[in-house]
Amino acid sequence: MSTFHLRISTPDGLEFEGEVERVRVRMIDGDVCLMANHEDYVSAVGAGEASVVTADGKVRNAACIGGMLAMIHNEANLIATTFEWADEIDIERAQRAKQVAEARIAAAKSDKQELMLAQAKLQRALVRINVKH
Amino acid sequence: MAGASMKDIKLRIKSVESTMQITKAMELVASSKLRRAKERQERSRPYFEGLKKTLVDIESATTDFSSPYQKKREVRKQCLIVIAGDRGLAGGYNSNVFKAVTGLLRQDTPVCVIPVGKRAVDFFTRKGIEILTTEFAEAASISIADCFTISNLITKGYLAGQFDEVSIVFTRFVSMLTQTPACEKLLPLEAQKTESEDDTVRPLVLYEPSPEVVYDAIVPNYISGMIYGAMCESVASELGARRTAMDAASKNAAEMIDDLSLRYNRARQGAITQEITEIVAGAEH
Repeated sequence: MSTFHLRISTPDGLEFEGEVERVRVRMIDGDVCLMANHEDYVSAVGAGEASVVTADGKVRNAACIGGMLAMIHNEANLIATTFEWADEIDIERAQRAKQVAEARIAAAKSDKQELMLAQAKLQRALVRINVKH
Repeated sequence: MAGASMKDIKLRIKSVESTMQITKAMELVASSKLRRAKERQERSRPYFEGLKKTLVDIESATTDFSSPYQKKREVRKQCLIVIAGDRGLAGGYNSNVFKAVTGLLRQDTPVCVIPVGKRAVDFFTRKGIEILTTEFAEAASISIADCFTISNLITKGYLAGQFDEVSIVFTRFVSMLTQTPACEKLLPLEAQKTESEDDTVRPLVLYEPSPEVVYDAIVPNYISGMIYGAMCESVASELGARRTAMDAASKNAAEMIDDLSLRYNRARQGAITQEITEIVAGAEH
């Protein structure tokens, strides 16, 4: 199968660079899967599971939240705010974050700003837990 | 009498010596932390530059482009993000930032602030200026995630009309010896389009669901990148300022010790001379 070059960068540095067969990412309006020779494409990343099929056919899953995905001249650039491979996710930390966020949502009540922050935290924790399982 | 002052001088030398040990240690700590702070900023660069390039591409590829983040409004309320340190002992680092802020505050428009760092929180509490959140009271431990939280806060607040202009006050790291406070406008975003580029042929890019939606989704990330960059520079500046200040303090301490040793030796000599004079005077009688 034909492959293309994918680069995944995060604020913490380069997470992945290499030839891949396809990449699937949860965008703001649903899952998108890019394969080689896709037309030039840019969109914003939502929050969910990403999956990369490398040139040797291996499938790797990851939690991918926020940022953008671009495919220009058959070169893909995934610029993600959070990108964690499934085997790197600290499940205990995610569970803890989930509990804390739930408690904060319960306590926030009418404080809109607090509620918004806590909900975002909860969503991130849930994405991590889902990818891990 | 001479003996007492000798003891005093000795004690003083000891205390200056221990102070010098501390300032030396602080200087070393600041230098090694400074290197790490610079590395951290380097690592995040490809991410934010990628985002910026996309923003510029979208603007120039789309005719009659408009985004709520770009629209200029009448400034009825201003929001400032002020980054200062957690601790003193960093030369003029904190006071320079606050001087810059005070200069900005003279305008008539009401202001609310997001202080970063304990000193900034203290400063604005004392001044009685509206503070949006004190969650970021520790500048040293601010992570990228915190920058995203701040960014979400200000972009949401901006879209909701809580404030009409957002600026960030931080300290630019010019060199090891020079750090200058700076103020940069975050929102509304300046148009990045350059006219001369219009002739070049651009690839037709598919923006999904639409260029505007992609643009507006990326802006908060881009802003958090600008905040993170400012944060890294401020932390580096603080460490640089502290290193310079501690270096000067160590030098001063060394000078004081030299001076005190001289006085100590003089006092010792004086005491010996006096003793001999007394003995000789006693023997003569």
